Amino acid sequence: MKSNIMVLAELRENEVHSSTLELLGKSRELSRKLENSSVTVVALTTEELKETAINLLHKSGADKVLIATNENFKRFNFTYYLRVLEKISNNEKPRIILASATTTGRTIMPALAAALHTGLTADCTGLDIDDESGTLLQTRPAIGGNVIATIKTPNHFPQMATVRPKTFSPLTYNYEGFEKLEVISFTNDSIEDNMELLSFNSTDSSRKNVQDAQVVVSAGKGISNINNLELISELASLLNGAVGASRPLVDQKWLDYESQVGLSGHTVKPDVYIAAGISGAVQHIAGMQTSDFVISINKDKNAAIFEYSDIGLVGDATQILEEIIEELKNSKGERKNA
Amino acid sequence: LKSIINPLDLNALETALRIKETNGDTAVYAITMGPPASEEALREARAMGVDDTYLLCDSKFAGADTYATSRTLAKALKSVGIFDLVLTGEKAIDGETGQVGPEVGVFMNVPVASYVTRIVDVKNGYIDIERESEIGRETWRIRFPCLLTITKEVNEPRLPTLSGKKKARRAKINQYNCEKLKSNPNEVGLKGSPTRVVRIGTPKVSREARIFDGPELKTGIKEVVKVLTNYLEVQH
Amino acid sequence: MPEVNTGTIPIKELKEIFGNRIKTDQDFLEKYSHDETAGLKGELPSAVIFPLDAEEISEVLKLANIYKFSVTPRGAGTGLSGGAIPNKDGVVISLEKMNNIVEFDDNNMMITVEPGVITDEIQKIADKHNLMYAGDPCSSDSSSIGGNIAENAGGNKVLKYGPTGHHVYSIEVVLPTGEIVTYGGKRLKDVTGLDMIHLLIGSEGILGVVTKITLRLIPKPKFTVALLVPFKTTKEAIAVVPKVLIDSGIMPSSLEFMDQSSIRSSCRFINTEFPYSDAGAHLIIEVEGNDKESVADIYEQLGDKCLEEGALEVFVADNRTTRERLWKARKSIAEALSAFSPIHCMEDVSVPMANIAELINESEKISRENELDMIAFGHAGDGNVHITFLKGKLGMEHWNKKLEKALTVLYELTSKLGGCITGEHGVGLKRKKYLSMTLDATQIELIRKIKGVFDPNNILNPGKIVDIISDKGKDRNYNE
Repeated sequence: MKSNIMVLAELRENEVHSSTLELLGKSRELSRKLENSSVTVVALTTEELKETAINLLHKSGADKVLIATNENFKRFNFTYYLRVLEKISNNEKPRIILASATTTGRTIMPALAAALHTGLTADCTGLDIDDESGTLLQTRPAIGGNVIATIKTPNHFPQMATVRPKTFSPLTYNYEGFEKLEVISFTNDSIEDNMELLSFNSTDSSRKNVQDAQVVVSAGKGISNINNLELISELASLLNGAVGASRPLVDQKWLDYESQVGLSGHTVKPDVYIAAGISGAVQHIAGMQTSDFVISINKDKNAAIFEYSDIGLVGDATQILEEIIEELKNSKGERKNA
Repeated sequence: LKSIINPLDLNALETALRIKETNGDTAVYAITMGPPASEEALREARAMGVDDTYLLCDSKFAGADTYATSRTLAKALKSVGIFDLVLTGEKAIDGETGQVGPEVGVFMNVPVASYVTRIVDVKNGYIDIERESEIGRETWRIRFPCLLTITKEVNEPRLPTLSGKKKARRAKINQYNCEKLKSNPNEVGLKGSPTRVVRIGTPKVSREARIFDGPELKTGIKEVVKVLTNYLEVQH
Repeated sequence: MPEVNTGTIPIKELKEIFGNRIKTDQDFLEKYSHDETAGLKGELPSAVIFPLDAEEISEVLKLANIYKFSVTPRGAGTGLSGGAIPNKDGVVISLEKMNNIVEFDDNNMMITVEPGVITDEIQKIADKHNLMYAGDPCSSDSSSIGGNIAENAGGNKVLKYGPTGHHVYSIEVVLPTGEIVTYGGKRLKDVTGLDMIHLLIGSEGILGVVTKITLRLIPKPKFTVALLVPFKTTKEAIAVVPKVLIDSGIMPSSLEFMDQSSIRSSCRFINTEFPYSDAGAHLIIEVEGNDKESVADIYEQLGDKCLEEGALEVFVADNRTTRERLWKARKSIAEALSAFSPIHCMEDVSVPMANIAELINESEKISRENELDMIAFGHAGDGNVHITFLKGKLGMEHWNKKLEKALTVLYELTSKLGGCITGEHGVGLKRKKYLSMTLDATQIELIRKIKGVFDPNNILNPGKIVDIISDKGKDRNYNE
């Protein structure tokens, strides 16, 4: 029996979102552990995808690109999405279904899981195949505690998981596997039109956000005084980076939700992540552990954050930030003069 | 119009109560599944103005994943009555996963709108809502019956009044166990859950940090500056 | 002896002790030249130092006595009377880096901390052990325990638990002449000698620098319920206060009052809504207990009483989420004031509880007569009210004149009502010239003499509470 992995493509205005490429990268890795398996990516769209988009999906690891078209796929129409994915799943019989943990993925995946009578694990930070049973091993931080739970769906198929954008990496090479394209025009007159889109206003996305910055400087409770946030933004702007925050700071409205890094905020993957005064609760770690290089500053030398760091500075965050900023300013001056 | 809420989410509760206030003939029910202590939350809901409350409580329900939870909730909803609108928090009973809302919607066979940020209008037979996605704000008209998952932005929940509290303190909470719900014991709780937690571990230590403490702190700061210098934004 | 010593500061010697923990650049000094008192602009000190222990502070004070320069100790800088404002060209000792928890002693229910620890941190540690630190100033999320002690901070639970000083059982203090002494210990009874701890608490940094503090923690009540009670008018709200206290037969842990303007600006500041925003005033009444049902009985009885007395409604917050929402609004009033009405004068006169109604009514008259805007909020249960005058539409010059007049009348009124000019913020710089409205000449002279005994060279925080030279009357002009 073929053991297909199916990835639901995240399309934004008919462009493939980077999180889909990350899932394809992971799918190839999983596929190597499953005999006779292939990777299918499913895209729901109003018209056909551009050739470049299809090529991108193949290069990124898809053996087969399956495009379903319907005029109701322009925006996320719950009813139509559910019906078409239910139908495709029943035809394709995938062993695994993966989707990005976006507003669409986080809504349609649980619905699809319920419709297919199977389990779903949300916001996985790790995926693997169990050597013995061949089932999907899904890891995610468990609620409330400093623990990571590994979850499995022993007897139900498909095995379903959502993954935050920026958790995995896309392939670093061009995949040259079996290329297949299938386009189905989805018509189903039996679908009840129970929801209708009245309007859509796109939001301005010009602002520098934590998910795209090369450097993220994050503040936690340890900075103790709202005035010290100035140091965080000063360092961030020196480094052309973004300001992040742990949940407590967002909860007390020192910074807005857009800055929140962690399980209930954003997952980030910058080149350098600086955690100032963050103790390292597992929820926060979940949002930053895939950063390339982590620098953390904390008064408590036993703080959990140090275990996820490349450099750890033990001391008062405010004072250390001041010194770093001072030295950076000096060397900036030197570089300018050089 | 009848609507129902998950009482752990005050924003969903507030949404229901406001709909009731603007649409005369509405009853709001609160339902939750959980241990006996969940009664507290239901009493608070009652104090805020909910008409009736239901607690699904049975040791057989323990260990349920979102699939089993949703299935049990949907079953209870069907036995309690016929609802036009079911509201849940964006991330509610199940902590952080946000799965229960959409799953309940499927088990009840109703459309779902998630990440609702505003109730625009409630009319006979449908509701207009705004929801927010990564790229924009959508306005949808959804026919009843339907399920909405509500974000914090939608409103500011009310405080219960003294008279509400008094009533709630003495109110009866309807209790459903597995038997009363006529659920198959194999379809609830851990037994009815497709997923299993197979391992609980402390997060894997993936880095070996060089820690600079006390007298070495200076050296550490120098190291950090060395790394960061590469990212300095130099004006041109 | 000069009113303020202005000897040359031995920067080189200080640098030897403090290395990079001494700051002398202008930008930095500016931050340390003021506290959070509106309208009180400070002078730039010459240096700010960040000691790590009592010995380092001792060395600085010994140098100060040799070179005759002035030294001002400072906590988190959230003071509201200018107590931590340095003298021109003096040295600021910031205690921010002395922020370690020294010991948590479960068996004695005591915690020992350094002065730079933020007050909420202590509360959090206590909470973890099912205990409670009963000090609760509104600034608890940003003020430090050292500052709380210097001002004998009051706050929201004084009604039941007393001000900061009630919870302090031992202090380590560096005297102005450099000696390090420890008073008290983990013992609830101690009449050995004079009660020096409570002389030092509230002494606004003129008698010594506290470097270690042992606080008593108490068992945390299992259930806490806060009621939010709107009234049509301030008068009605205030009239209920003594009735609630006397008739209900229980002691609330808090009984707070907020008039319409304070609650509105606070809600705007923290971006929230409150019910009955058109009500004239709100009370917050908090009760505690260990039995859920009896706490419910109590709040029902209290709530009914309020309704009987004309309350528009009674809202009940009996869980963490709702209670935090209420308190957030109450505790953000001062910050909202700074944001929306930066030019204002917040007072903290304290009168016998039964006289609050008269105090507020008369204050409103005073503000009207002087064309000032006024808001009032505060600790109705203990008689400590933050009558706050706002500049409103007045021009700056007009404001200064009118304010001075209004303050004098307010303080006269307070005295007449059996009150004092400051209940929890301190005299500092701000109220120095009004001190004689509460204390007589003999009493003030005695403060000078005590200051002289502790600090013969007048180097530690000179010019706060009293001037050392009695008859000069060269008081600093408020709002100069």
